Amino acid sequence: MDRLYFIQLLDELQKVMCENREYLIDLDRVVGDGDLGLTMSDGFLAAYHAVKDSPETDIGKMLYTAGKAMSTAVPSTMGTLMASGLMQTGKVLKGKTEIEHEDIATFFMAYEEGVMTRGKAKVGEKTFLDGLDPAVEAMKASFAAGETLSVVADKAVNAAQEGYENTATMLAVHGRAATRGEASRSLKDPGAAVALLMMRAFQKTV
Amino acid sequence: MKKLINKPENYVTEMLEGLYLAHPDLITYTENDLHCLVSVNKKEGKVGIATGGGSGHLPLFLGYVGKGLLDGCSVGDVFQSPSAEQMLAVTKEIDSGAGVLYIYGNYNGDIFNFDMATEMADFEENIRVESVVAGEDVASAGPSAPGERNSRRGVAGIVFVFKCAGAAANAMLDLDNVKRVAQKAADNVRTMGVALTPCTVPRVGKPGFEIAADEMEIGMGIHGETGIRRGKIETADEIAVEMLDKIVNDLPYNKGDEVAVLINGLGATTLDEQYIVTRKVDEYLKDKGIKVHHYYVGEYVTSLEMAGLSISLLKLDEELKQYLDAPAQTPFFVQL
Repeated sequence: MDRLYFIQLLDELQKVMCENREYLIDLDRVVGDGDLGLTMSDGFLAAYHAVKDSPETDIGKMLYTAGKAMSTAVPSTMGTLMASGLMQTGKVLKGKTEIEHEDIATFFMAYEEGVMTRGKAKVGEKTFLDGLDPAVEAMKASFAAGETLSVVADKAVNAAQEGYENTATMLAVHGRAATRGEASRSLKDPGAAVALLMMRAFQKTV
Repeated sequence: MKKLINKPENYVTEMLEGLYLAHPDLITYTENDLHCLVSVNKKEGKVGIATGGGSGHLPLFLGYVGKGLLDGCSVGDVFQSPSAEQMLAVTKEIDSGAGVLYIYGNYNGDIFNFDMATEMADFEENIRVESVVAGEDVASAGPSAPGERNSRRGVAGIVFVFKCAGAAANAMLDLDNVKRVAQKAADNVRTMGVALTPCTVPRVGKPGFEIAADEMEIGMGIHGETGIRRGKIETADEIAVEMLDKIVNDLPYNKGDEVAVLINGLGATTLDEQYIVTRKVDEYLKDKGIKVHHYYVGEYVTSLEMAGLSISLLKLDEELKQYLDAPAQTPFFVQL
């Protein structure tokens, strides 16, 4: 696989975010300021458009460019976090023109690392990471067990789904939800919903 | 919504156009982007200082770019962070080899973007960037323990941080020392505000919150963040004392300390009212044995057309006093 795989992945990401724009707005309106759907659809669309016709063969450079385009398009808190994830994948995959299946796990691990470093959040704090981290772990285990890419993707989606549901048991420590304390515990985190949508996009590329 | 505007979506760009037309001798913009403002006065070898954040707070942030203060600034839409790319554009323009210091308020959107710009400056441009994050609103959170992250919002007190750092850079201190001075100012300033009426983001068209005609909210933030107490409005003296008690006990400011005071209107409160409060502040501080070195009274950090004001105290030592008193000339701040 080469850079075309990641262009396809970015395309699926922007599609899933655009299709779920209203869903994300409604989720976010309850705990945040309601602009998550716009941020995610505008952001991933900008990332995809920045590289879809790019002649860049270095996968890392291409992904970094996509991340920068996202950061410029949507400089809100969540937009910058997602852009940071994408830029980190670029740094990690820099110099590669070909990838193996396992590099998809590397991509999502780097994405998680980028978001975590920027946001200074940990797993268990009711954020995007609580959807993405279980999916990344499931992906790594599935690759290690030598399973097919479609099994890897199914397991990642299921783990993200479970992670998203689990955020209803967590106390928020970041963002507006945190100011409401216990009152927001039973609400699921919209960021974790974004992670679940990302896994659905990954599943579509398989 | 009752504002002197054209189309709400042009609010920020039209404001910027007017600003550049009015002050061509002091400011311009870089990379063809009105949101990336830089000083026209350059001093070779000087540490560059940049700030940035959402629009809607004039004279913050744009008004403090000029001689003896800041070198550049990026602004976003109303109450929205500018992008890291815009911050980077300003950084490139103001670096003259001595590095750049970012000074900005403690808000996640701004932090994430300035952090990203710092990495881009290092990774793509090989410019050394340091940051000082101002967070001094005593109503927004408790004090942070040593080593713990400060969770207080940055409000009007940041102007003192700008002024001290700007003068230190102008005195040709190196990046580490300009940062040290900025951090010292940030550590010694405390602010608290009161809101009487809400403000309306032009593109939203409706007030950000509701407050009854006879109510006030003590401790409200400059984007309408919830304060610590809402109640019937009281006299200027009563409100000033409630805010000063919180501020003075927080650092704390002690008998014998010397301070600079900033009485800051939030946008719709008259200078008359600000001076009425100033009178009580002076009486209160005299009573506590705290000496006032200088008063700054007026609109320094606004919240669109919100009514209300904030009080900031900066505890001074000889070094901060020297930098605070140094001359500066920007579109909104002139000190001889």
